[in-house]
Amino acid sequence: MKKTLLLFSILFFVTLFAQAQDFNYGTFTQEEINMKKYDKDTSAHAVVLLEHGRSQIQPIDDENIDLVYEYHVKIKIFDKGGYSQGNIEIPYYSEDGSTYEQVQDIKGITTYQDENGYIKTAELDPKKVYNQVDSKHWSRLKFAMPGIHDGCIIEYSYRLTSPWFEDFHSWEFQSDIPKVYSEYDVHIPAYWNYNISKIGALPLSKNVGVAESDCFEFHGAKSGCSHYTYGMKDIPAFVVEDDMTSPKNYVSAINFELSDYYSLTTSSNIKVAKNWKDVDYELKHAEYFGAQLRRTGLLKDKITPVIAGKTDDLEKAKSIYSYIQKSIKWNDVRGRGSVDGIRKAFNEHTGDVADINLALTTGLNAAGLNADAVLLSTRQNGLINRLYPIITGFDYVVCQLTISDKTYLLDATDPLMPFGMLPLRCINDQGRVMSLDKPSYWVDMSTPQRRNSTYHFNLTLHPDGKIKGTMTHYSIGYEAYLKRQEIKKFNSVDEYVEYMNSKSTKFRILKSSITGVDSLEQAVSETYEIEIKEFKNLDHDRLAFDPYIINRLVTNPYKLADRTYPVDIGMPSTIRYTLTMHLPDGYTIENAPKNTNLGLPLSGGSFITDYHQDDNGSGFTFAHVIQLNKSVYQPDEYPYLKEFYNQVILSEKDELIFKKK
Amino acid sequence: MIRTGVFALLITVLTVNVKAQQGYDASLIPKDLLPYASSVVRLQEVNMYVKDLNNSTYHIKQAITILNKNGDDMADIEIWHDKTNVIKYVKGTVYNSSGVLIKKFSESDFEDVNANDGFSLFNDLKVKHYQPSVTEYPYTVEYEYEEREKQSLDFPDWMPNPGTGTAVEKSTFTFSCKPDFNIRYKEINLPSAVSIATDKDGVKTYTWQVSNLKAVKDEPYSPNPEKILTQVKIAPVKFTYERLDGSFSDWNGLGKWIYDKLLINRQQLPAATVQHVKELTAGITDPKLKAKKIYEYMQGRTHYVSVQIGIGGLQPFLASDVDQLNYGDCKALVNYTRALLKAVDIDSWYCVVTGDHSRKTSMLTDFASLQGNHAILCIPFKNDTTWMDCTSQTIPFGYLGDFTDDRIALACTPQGGILLHTPKYTADGNLLEHTGNFILDDNGGLSGSMKSVFKGTEYNDMDDVIQESLKEQIKDMQRIYPINNMIVQKLAFTQDKSLHPTTTEDITLKAPEYASIANGKVHFLLNPINRMNRAPKLVMNRTTDLYINEGYTSEDEITYTIPAGYRQYSEPLTVSIKNAFGTFLATSTLQGNCLIYKRKLQVIDGTYPKESYQDFVDFYQAVVDADDYEMTLVKNN
Repeated sequence: MKKTLLLFSILFFVTLFAQAQDFNYGTFTQEEINMKKYDKDTSAHAVVLLEHGRSQIQPIDDENIDLVYEYHVKIKIFDKGGYSQGNIEIPYYSEDGSTYEQVQDIKGITTYQDENGYIKTAELDPKKVYNQVDSKHWSRLKFAMPGIHDGCIIEYSYRLTSPWFEDFHSWEFQSDIPKVYSEYDVHIPAYWNYNISKIGALPLSKNVGVAESDCFEFHGAKSGCSHYTYGMKDIPAFVVEDDMTSPKNYVSAINFELSDYYSLTTSSNIKVAKNWKDVDYELKHAEYFGAQLRRTGLLKDKITPVIAGKTDDLEKAKSIYSYIQKSIKWNDVRGRGSVDGIRKAFNEHTGDVADINLALTTGLNAAGLNADAVLLSTRQNGLINRLYPIITGFDYVVCQLTISDKTYLLDATDPLMPFGMLPLRCINDQGRVMSLDKPSYWVDMSTPQRRNSTYHFNLTLHPDGKIKGTMTHYSIGYEAYLKRQEIKKFNSVDEYVEYMNSKSTKFRILKSSITGVDSLEQAVSETYEIEIKEFKNLDHDRLAFDPYIINRLVTNPYKLADRTYPVDIGMPSTIRYTLTMHLPDGYTIENAPKNTNLGLPLSGGSFITDYHQDDNGSGFTFAHVIQLNKSVYQPDEYPYLKEFYNQVILSEKDELIFKKK
Repeated sequence: MIRTGVFALLITVLTVNVKAQQGYDASLIPKDLLPYASSVVRLQEVNMYVKDLNNSTYHIKQAITILNKNGDDMADIEIWHDKTNVIKYVKGTVYNSSGVLIKKFSESDFEDVNANDGFSLFNDLKVKHYQPSVTEYPYTVEYEYEEREKQSLDFPDWMPNPGTGTAVEKSTFTFSCKPDFNIRYKEINLPSAVSIATDKDGVKTYTWQVSNLKAVKDEPYSPNPEKILTQVKIAPVKFTYERLDGSFSDWNGLGKWIYDKLLINRQQLPAATVQHVKELTAGITDPKLKAKKIYEYMQGRTHYVSVQIGIGGLQPFLASDVDQLNYGDCKALVNYTRALLKAVDIDSWYCVVTGDHSRKTSMLTDFASLQGNHAILCIPFKNDTTWMDCTSQTIPFGYLGDFTDDRIALACTPQGGILLHTPKYTADGNLLEHTGNFILDDNGGLSGSMKSVFKGTEYNDMDDVIQESLKEQIKDMQRIYPINNMIVQKLAFTQDKSLHPTTTEDITLKAPEYASIANGKVHFLLNPINRMNRAPKLVMNRTTDLYINEGYTSEDEITYTIPAGYRQYSEPLTVSIKNAFGTFLATSTLQGNCLIYKRKLQVIDGTYPKESYQDFVDFYQAVVDADDYEMTLVKNN
């Protein structure tokens, strides 16, 4: 009874006629045909003239209620650069050949002017729509529009039906080409409730919500609908910039998350996600999540020999971490829950992110340690909406371990990742700690890790014009992880050194020694005895020497006049170079580089050069350091970042002159 | 009788298998096979048995040891199949480092998806694939599968060592067929020749075998791997393919079959199109100009979309389909252009070629078989054969570029196949010229303009850039020219699409703080335009010849007007090198207040002995060093 009342209350809205109408298929104006370019973006190769989407929950037969999504678009193509708009792909979810989602009623028509100026049309032949199977679960329908010419108008539409209300179609207003007008028309019967959120900076030009009466009927149950219409006009193309996290964070779009619904088959109200308390409860009891975290029995058998004889908690944790790293190979699939269970992952020696890190969490707990799973959204997947719980927004899970007062974030998907460090993909905003016995809470994913690189050159100029000495390179922190990855691409350290030697045409490696490759928590240190053929001979009064022996910057990585989106470099970094140079008798140094100390505002970074001449004049030490202290620089910091690098480049133009006394 | 024969054969194969199964212990791999190897093929047995023209069996058994993570991909089993090639069974086993069985797998573990060739909208070929997951190295994957093929034309090549990083302990290839089925075969880099046996039923068996092949190392500027690696190709004399019968023993015969069975009767065009192209070319008498008009018409109303379905991706779509759809793949567009040319009485030939930007690959002149991956068109004008690639909407009539130039193609004519050599672009003709006039002010700012000319294979270097919006073009210029702080003030491209086409770029730019000023001296890079950043990497103990695919010439002349009251502080740049494979000259001269920088780099294509590779690296290193030359000016006192 109560539920019926709720439904009625919604119906008391004033019933308006919503004027959200799909445009007529196959129509065009002479103006559209004549259009030579898009005035608001004359560089566009194509523009969406009209785009309309409609989503509706409706019965499709006596037994099933489906989510029906209809898409219809009309695109003007100006020139060859826009022809690719005529190659269309519609991905859909299928399982083992039997379709779960269905794509139907694909139609397409191209209107163009022929060589004699007559308007012609070409229709898409349904036989030329191809079904491509991409994986066990995903397929795509693909087709190429016929009759593409410069100046043509292509139009196509289709319907996609899906049984999953949870996956209500989101709508992206922005794409790689501009749009004149885009509209999404949504009909939600009162039995369902969604949280609706808009992302992106562009404003809606239409945002109407009205009640519709008697729009839904299923086995006698009737309800009205909420009918929302979202429209946007004059939408610019979305341009991807360098050092940008997921475009999803910035593309203007409308997203839907099912919050609750009234099940017509069981006659009960089902909460999908209302608050974190519900989510916590659901995950705790979900087979794919909580159930796996309770498999401590399974893990106990496996880890007992691993931690045998260890008393220190941290030592135990590290050995379990390394055991999981070695036992389950990541299959490159991200996920927030274990689909087939961690037992299978152990048996098959392969699993997705959730298999691996839920096994890790469970294993740590089985050893009596305090570990929780942490859900997060990877950089590629975009920022998480923290206003209300959206479980589908997470695409990854890691583990948080607490020993005394210290917490560690762990990801065992990569056997080269040191304990306590996260891969770059995970360092994105905040994650949600999901505990089996406590309410969930947010935690910062920006761990204190850095990329540090230090080079030491100790060189002597010999009378034959050659420079000989050592180069030592320490890779520290995340940099050490990256270095290990680079070395492991070779079958042996010797093959890596051979590669180093072959790519450095500037100097020759005479001897090498590399340590720390296999102990993940140490720095990787590479020491090379090198020889540089700097000068053919020393028969000159003045010899120009470039103290920036490697990695000299020539052009600025930041070139834009201004920047729309933040620059996200993932984590702070330091690169430090120290050069100690010994000169033969009879030389002095002219043109010593000036010392520099440049900073970015708000301690964002620094560039320091420091030159010291030996007291007896027989040599010098020159150091320079580029340090970036932030992971993310906001658009208003962009000009400073750009100027910072400009100054670095100017400084690096300096040369030293060795002068005969 | 025949049946017994087959059985006898299979039993022999099985016995070999049982024997070979012992000893997948990784420590038994000969030590000299380990360098540069991330995987080692322990045993490979490939058997092809032609039972009938439309019924052959392909069987492969392979055991491969994966030494480390870099070799994992070699344990990825991919089985290509379609309606003509049907998988009969597949099974496999995984062994640990000491050769102990740890896991078995079967067809149900495989995933079946459409092939993704990277360029097609759709390809009806499917691939079943599975990669066992093993966490401890080394491990060995042994698998076998059998396919039934309803054809006898396209036999897979046997290439026991497929690429870099894999060594081979032992591999055998047997090809068996009944007495009335004759084959031709081509052995490339085989250490030992074929052995042929005939059993009592007359079944002929050809066997090839190799052992202890070391892993191939990736060497830059190396010739086509097909010239270096062991390979056997097989071609039938009589065959059936997709219900089409045929026979050939040379290129003429294969070309004839392609013409007669795959190309004929596919050129009909709607009357309106025929009428239109006739009107379009009315009044043009020179057949070459006529052909150009037709080609440009085709370019204007089609674009490239690849859909590979039906006869093994060998037969073009109907010309009338292309006329209606306005798209097609290389075959369809060549066939369509042929039809349009035919409508104005110009005969042309459909040609099969191997398209490859990095290496020129020819049809094997002494061995006719299905080769090539691309179709182009050729018009045999008297004394003036003209070639066309029909897949681009922008390239000029008669232009091939480095994708198909200078190699042997198969022309399929009504009289049969003819091998033809496509035109060559010479080092002199592949020209890139920069002529710039810049002013360097006393604040270190650079400003001025530059003209760049692109010819030969360089002609289409800028085609992608030209397609873009000005905003994107400017970003590209900032990438192409490493001038720090560059602001592009004007940018224009023009293309002359004649038979010797030219692209011209005109740019006006400025760059504040281009030069740095310290201690009264001005430092700047003399060559901000056309810099060689890195020499090819060194190769220790190189095994392959030095192969330079395309020659080119690059000539630059940049004039700097230097600020008044300054003189040269650094010594003038003078570099001059001449080698078998190229020349390099770079100079700077001061004339009044004009500092003139000249650079000419020419590289001659060809194959040079492997010993000259070090000279080649040194040559490029000298170019890199010269391009890094910093000019310093100092104020007159």
